[in-house]
Amino acid sequence: MSYDPVEYDPVELGIMWDRVVSIADEVVSALITTSFSTIVRESGDLSCMLFNGDGASLAQGNFSVPSFTGTGPPTLRHMLAKFPPESLEPGDVLITNDPWMGTGHTWDVNVMRPVFRGGRLVAYTLSVTHLPDIGGLGFSTVGTDIYAEGLRLPIQKLLKRGVVNAELMEIILGNVRFPEMVQGDILANIACNEVGGRLLTDFMDEYKLDDLGPLSRAIIERTESAMRAKIALIPDGVYRNAIPVEGIDEPLRLECAVTIRGSDVLIDLEGTTGSVQRAINVPLCYTRAFCNYALKVVTIPDLPNNEGAANPITLTAPPDCVLNALPPRATAGRHVIGHFVAPLIFGALAPALPSQVQADCGMLSQTSMRGTNLAERPVSSLFFAAGGFGALHGQDGRDATPGPSNMIGSPIEIWEDETNITVLHKRLIPDSGGAGEWRGGNGQAIALRNDTGHVLDAACFSSRSEHAAQGYNGGKPGALRETLLNGEHVHPKGRYLMQPGEVLETREAGGGGYGDPSRRARAAVLADIEAGRLTPEGAARDFGVVKGSGT
Amino acid sequence: MGLSLGVDIGGTFTDFALHDAARGEVFLHKRLTTPEAPGRAVLEGAVALLAEHGVGLEALDVLVHGTTLITNATIERKGAKTGFLVTQGFADVIEIGREQRYDLFDLRLQFPAPLVPRALRRDVAERVLPGGRVERALDEDAVLASAAELVAEGCDALAVGLLHSYAFPAHEQRIGALVRARFPQLAVSLSHEVSPFMREYERWTTTIVNAYTQPLADRYLAALEDGLAQGGFRGRLLVMTASGGTATPDMARRFPVRLIESGPAAGALMSAWLSRRLEGVEDLLSFDMGGTTAKGALVRGQAPLRRFELEVARVHAFKKGSGLPLKIPVLDMIEIGSGGGSIASLDNRGLIAVGPHSAGASPGPACYGLGGQVPTLTDANLVLGHLNPDFFLGGKMALDAGAARVALEARFGGLGLDAARAAWGVYETANEDVARAFRVHAAERGFDYRGCAMVAFGGSGPLCATRIARKLRVPKLVFPAGAGVMSAIGLLVSPLSHELVKSDRVLLEDLDDAGLEARFARLEAEVRAPLREAGVAAPVMQRALDMRYRGQGYEIDVALPAGAGIAELPALFEVAYRRIFNISFPGQGLEIVNWKASASGPPPAAMETLRIITADGGEALKGERQVYQAASNSFRAVPVYNRYALMPGDTLHGPALVEENESTAVLGAGDSAVMDASGNLVVSVGA
Repeated sequence: MSYDPVEYDPVELGIMWDRVVSIADEVVSALITTSFSTIVRESGDLSCMLFNGDGASLAQGNFSVPSFTGTGPPTLRHMLAKFPPESLEPGDVLITNDPWMGTGHTWDVNVMRPVFRGGRLVAYTLSVTHLPDIGGLGFSTVGTDIYAEGLRLPIQKLLKRGVVNAELMEIILGNVRFPEMVQGDILANIACNEVGGRLLTDFMDEYKLDDLGPLSRAIIERTESAMRAKIALIPDGVYRNAIPVEGIDEPLRLECAVTIRGSDVLIDLEGTTGSVQRAINVPLCYTRAFCNYALKVVTIPDLPNNEGAANPITLTAPPDCVLNALPPRATAGRHVIGHFVAPLIFGALAPALPSQVQADCGMLSQTSMRGTNLAERPVSSLFFAAGGFGALHGQDGRDATPGPSNMIGSPIEIWEDETNITVLHKRLIPDSGGAGEWRGGNGQAIALRNDTGHVLDAACFSSRSEHAAQGYNGGKPGALRETLLNGEHVHPKGRYLMQPGEVLETREAGGGGYGDPSRRARAAVLADIEAGRLTPEGAARDFGVVKGSGT
Repeated sequence: MGLSLGVDIGGTFTDFALHDAARGEVFLHKRLTTPEAPGRAVLEGAVALLAEHGVGLEALDVLVHGTTLITNATIERKGAKTGFLVTQGFADVIEIGREQRYDLFDLRLQFPAPLVPRALRRDVAERVLPGGRVERALDEDAVLASAAELVAEGCDALAVGLLHSYAFPAHEQRIGALVRARFPQLAVSLSHEVSPFMREYERWTTTIVNAYTQPLADRYLAALEDGLAQGGFRGRLLVMTASGGTATPDMARRFPVRLIESGPAAGALMSAWLSRRLEGVEDLLSFDMGGTTAKGALVRGQAPLRRFELEVARVHAFKKGSGLPLKIPVLDMIEIGSGGGSIASLDNRGLIAVGPHSAGASPGPACYGLGGQVPTLTDANLVLGHLNPDFFLGGKMALDAGAARVALEARFGGLGLDAARAAWGVYETANEDVARAFRVHAAERGFDYRGCAMVAFGGSGPLCATRIARKLRVPKLVFPAGAGVMSAIGLLVSPLSHELVKSDRVLLEDLDDAGLEARFARLEAEVRAPLREAGVAAPVMQRALDMRYRGQGYEIDVALPAGAGIAELPALFEVAYRRIFNISFPGQGLEIVNWKASASGPPPAAMETLRIITADGGEALKGERQVYQAASNSFRAVPVYNRYALMPGDTLHGPALVEENESTAVLGAGDSAVMDASGNLVVSVGA
């Protein structure tokens, strides 16, 4: 890599940096608005990134789920290893969904476009979205190896010199359940990268930049040094944590040792259970994204995300443990286990950073619904519901708020209109948040009835049915999640064929509390009763507060 | 029509613009707002301005009024105690919201509490499914019992939100009839009337804000009408809405939520009006920058872009998702957290950031000398030489350039920047923030700003506009006459209008011309009614659809030319889609999601030209001032002109400054400006 010896003063750097972040945001916006599947537009299961001509990162769109924190640079490196820059031409677009090169499962498609300016390769743009289908067994945790999980696309040219690779497209569309939607989403990825390329070259024209290298280097250096300055404030030492996590056939254990040495963070996952014969294994790229996320949140939450925020962190994990699954493990539901990496790291750092970390979240449940609606049209939608948010020092956890991942709840009216799956109720569950000086957020109860007139295939992805969201520093755990089919408890990671009229109900888990509940102000407990967050019985049991008694 | 008066109540000043049709002239007036009784300043100012013309209120034909009352009541939570009746099982929806964290990395993010606390929400036993099937009949006795409880609790207003009522309103209508008959004093807002839009959280939140502000709006308008009547006013009172049109007091009472954010809308509408008077201008950017925020709007084909959503009362001033979402017709405004008082700081990257926090009026910028220690955009403009320390607000306030310099050096000295370079950094950062906001907004709407014009106004707009225009490659910039009271003038060009959007998802292949016509006919009858009641017999009608490819989640607005039928829709959609995304998907099915109709009458004042009476004669060239030049990193003497002494046809060449009471226009090297016949300063922006 060679750079011109350009140095930007703080005025220029600030303006150009904000501009490239804004370009990444515009790419995201183009992607969301042209996408066809609900998961992209409603859950934000996507990301867009910009890189300079050497493949070093410039910016990532602000709107994204944490699963994509820092996955882009390695994905691009894999792509360039197979198709070196000299083999790329204007109008080329590359694609892969390989779980180990992308973001951990075959449903996420990574689409990359090299950006040419005056015949020179000056940048790359990359987008990632979750496809509505990729064939195989379909989106669920029942697969036992990767071959059951649909098409695994090696890195290929999806467009050659601006022309769609028709054979490749035919293969993809011939292997998926909802080819129209899948095609639409792939085209949306192509379109958004086109937008990104145009905006980047405009930007280079405007500022008369021939090379984005110096800008990229300045951005990464600033970010990295800001993060290192914050890490250096954490006392050196080894911080350990181990948490039990629900598997499917057997319980799992995640373990970490986080070593802080100066401004470096070493995370080792020795002690974590081995991979399993179910589709909940996590490739290391996904584990790394959540490690990066957890560290960024407690150090530099307000800085734009880029490679600089990942550089101080080194991750090691035993080969083929459940957080470093190797091919040909099944990984469809890698998020169900992978989301626990954030609380695993928070828990380890809690003694060192008591006012930054968050008590455990109730997390979210995801139900993949496939079938046919009353109008005889196909249904393939995800229903999300959030449990309670974990409390922080000084702040209650919000009710029904997703964490560590993020999403947007589908409006009931739109959901019902498109699927004919009726929502019977959606209400908060009092007392379900963990008690504490600061209370965990409450979960919610939701019931879905199959009114489609057809058999409905429901695949559930959730946890916290055996291991509650833990409270911190004396705070109590939140309530467990429950999944019921026609009133009977069922496995929260199961797949069920729902007959017409059958009802699937979830009671979402509460968030963990923070601090000793006896320290919570009586007035705050009474206000919670008034607001319906606590029942009088719950207030007496968990906080020792009885309305009107003066105690 | 003879005399029309526009009155805009702002936070500090209430502005007046009186149009005399016989003379074709506009007269301006400004006085302090009277926050405890805002109507008082309206009456006193109207009387004073009319008295200057030797007439009284009885001579006034139309009074168009813009108020921040509803906005403020919502932000400050000073509305009525409001109850909420909601489909059983869904009382928590308004509290749960969208279940999305609007900031991924900030674990301490905050959300607005709903305006109706849990204790004042009541379940209604009823359920309608999509398609209109009644799964559970309405329990009328229970409805009345719940309403009685809420009234006993002291509620003055009631919002009603039932699932799928946007298309199947029978249960809401029945509740409305029952409750209004039993409790005539209660202000009742039904969600299908306020906003028949398919997304329960947004529709119900809109309905609750409507109910919450209804008693207040009613009291305020009654007091204003009484006061005007006692003063002899016999003309028509109109109230500005956020959509860039006006409403009768009766409509304003029914839908006060539509008055939110109406002030900025009037300013943008004035920009659109100007575009029709300026030669060769079709599209323009309206840019208004005041003390705390900047507002932008896009004007396409001489009409401001509109939309049907707005977020108010944000917990985090400029973070989308942190406020209450409203589904109401509004001008599509951009809000940016940059204004003269915006505080310049070092962010965590060690770089310059401007806003969104503001030093406000007190202590204000460091240069005010009121105790402010932190540098603001105004301080930067003073240090750069853009502002005249002796002629701020027309000389009413002296500015301390030394204090500004000290504040900038204290904050940015560590970066190795002297006061001038730091000031330039603050100025450029703010300019880039504004330019970026315009870029993103325009890109999302497929609006090509390159080559269009910009109208800049507000206290800080003319200071920044030439730089922003350069960044956006906008070649033509207009500093309008009366820039300090643009909203008040804008009221005079805002037509009486009404808009509705109704959700009704239908596949294009399932629809024929008769079905299309029938749906629009129903909607148009509803839209036309209030105008007819106000005496507008033949309003201008406009139809539009929100359409998308089947299966997509986002709709785009497709305006329908008169007489367009099913056959034309695919092509119209494709053009609109390509304009935004540069791509289309031929062969994919299309669906209509929302149906939109609007009706508008003539504007209140028949203004063909706008001659604003401000000239004070005198010498145009006031002197010169040292102004910072970024290219050479040095100061250079630049001529300073008195705007009020410029005559039509006068031409200026940048670098130059043009001072008026409320602001100063900065012309850069290569810019040239001409005063036009109406008193607008029209700038050709240099490269």
